[in-house]
Amino acid sequence: MPPSFGRTLYGQVAEQLEALALAGPLGEETVLPPEWALAEQLGVSRGTVRRAMGDLEDRGLLRREAGRGTFVNPAARLRRVVWRRLAEVARPDSRFGLDFASFIPDFAGSEQCTESVADLPEYRSSRSVMVTPDNNLEGLRRRVLADGKRMLVCTYALARGLVLLDGRTVATADRPLAATLDGMERFGPALSYRQLCAMGRIDLVVTGAAAVTREGVHFGKGHGYFDIEWGLLSEIGLVGPDTPVVASAHGCQVVDEPVPHEVFDATVDVIVTPQEIIRCPGLGKPAGLFWDRLPREFADSRPYFAELRAARTLHRGAA
Amino acid sequence: MRADADVRAAVRDTVWARLRSVARPDSRFHWDFSSFVADFADSERCVDRLRALPAWSRSRLLFITPDNSTELVRRAAMADGKPFVMTTYGMRRGFLALDPQDVPHTDHSYAATLDGMDRYARPVSLSDIGQADHIGLLITGGSAVNPRGHRMGKGHGYFDLEWALLSEIGAVDESSEIADVVHDCQLVDVDLAPAAHDVPVDWIITPTRTVQVSSSGRAPGRVVWDLLGGTRLASLPPVMELAALQGRELSPCTTTMVRSPARRPDHCGDVPAVLLPPQHSRG
Repeated sequence: MPPSFGRTLYGQVAEQLEALALAGPLGEETVLPPEWALAEQLGVSRGTVRRAMGDLEDRGLLRREAGRGTFVNPAARLRRVVWRRLAEVARPDSRFGLDFASFIPDFAGSEQCTESVADLPEYRSSRSVMVTPDNNLEGLRRRVLADGKRMLVCTYALARGLVLLDGRTVATADRPLAATLDGMERFGPALSYRQLCAMGRIDLVVTGAAAVTREGVHFGKGHGYFDIEWGLLSEIGLVGPDTPVVASAHGCQVVDEPVPHEVFDATVDVIVTPQEIIRCPGLGKPAGLFWDRLPREFADSRPYFAELRAARTLHRGAA
Repeated sequence: MRADADVRAAVRDTVWARLRSVARPDSRFHWDFSSFVADFADSERCVDRLRALPAWSRSRLLFITPDNSTELVRRAAMADGKPFVMTTYGMRRGFLALDPQDVPHTDHSYAATLDGMDRYARPVSLSDIGQADHIGLLITGGSAVNPRGHRMGKGHGYFDLEWALLSEIGAVDESSEIADVVHDCQLVDVDLAPAAHDVPVDWIITPTRTVQVSSSGRAPGRVVWDLLGGTRLASLPPVMELAALQGRELSPCTTTMVRSPARRPDHCGDVPAVLLPPQHSRG
């Protein structure tokens, strides 16, 4: 019989350790007390503590380094803290329920975000908009189509690449369906690498977020999809350092604490919440893909990356 | 037991390989057929065939599984003004009911998708369903089905459980009919060695044919509590509701970790008109 997670001693210890890990300051890497001290403090065996830590490590919250200690992963902590707030306002996903590690949810008030994005000068002047396949952007995708713009959308996890919908050709009655993940591919087939290269500049990128700092550091579900999508589009030349990126999020997803960001993070320029429009200082964006961070099996099972790699090699050879 | 499991796994693998050429990938799960039941080419012809069944016209309330292959069935039900009950994906948020009167015509195609249905369908408890109209026709998709009406789904036993729950609450009975909507490539002539709780179907509907299964011999659906106890299925809201209604102690899920509980829909005071007992339903 497999062990019960909910009520066992070990499960309770895992819960307490998680609470301890989440209590630290957002954005900072903290160290947990050593195993023996935790065991003493919680009045359980070291084996139980070790197992509970292993569970939290598997879930990405902790990182153990031999001889150095147990570190709390700051990004994982930040996501978890925000997810707890988000559970109060989120709308479940059609497949994933409230498993926020698998999707970015729609929330109460996203309609206001759609209006605010549509009011931005960056939006009004745009002809081609890239919108991520996040649930909170369904209303915006409808709006982009209604406004007769061209809309580039990634398929979930980039599994089938990107699709291009043209607001001028999608019929009014089809817009609600075309704006969903379930329906969009019926109105815009996935683009080939050639078609993607030939689609022309993207004027605006709008993304959802698991969390975003006031300075514009963006956190996705935790798979790095947005950074990869940005990298891909910038390698092809569809977006550049001047392409504005807007994050649409619930107020509870906006983090006040500054969080250090990495060179491979695609940061955002504007944050739109149901209550606020926040202009960020502009932390810069990567100019291309970080190939060494791209898992081989991810690239191998997705469109575009093989062609892109070949194009790079060719380019380098010619240079 | 082991041999039967092997046969079923082999059938699934064979059919899933065939499906790749006619199926459509899922918006989230891509080609992972163990996570969804795929829509396929010409599924609209299955809808025409379903509509020709006497049970479609006769049934005031339908049950339709949340499969991609039944999306057009949901759209047809709305077009024909037929209310239906369905489950949320994996039954994690229980049952939903959709009354076509709540959906503007222009949104039928949207509301028929899994992504759109939540905007128009309303959460209903098992007891709500028990007080509603009798369900005369249930429509499901699946991985494979044989001429005797024995079917396989994704492999989680959801439909068998749905049937059992609806039976126990009295929403379906021996007069209810079950139609399995599949592509021709999902028809297999293999003995699937059904277990006692596997529910055989009455109709197999493919784009090219309508097959009536002779004497499917369906026993009344009963939740097999011994099988559920301790599994992930035991923590599904309708299962917990039925256990409570029947005063049963249900051993909680011990096989996988239960995520933080999804907010349970509040069933009080917001029962869709379509699910009210007949004397209260709108005229």
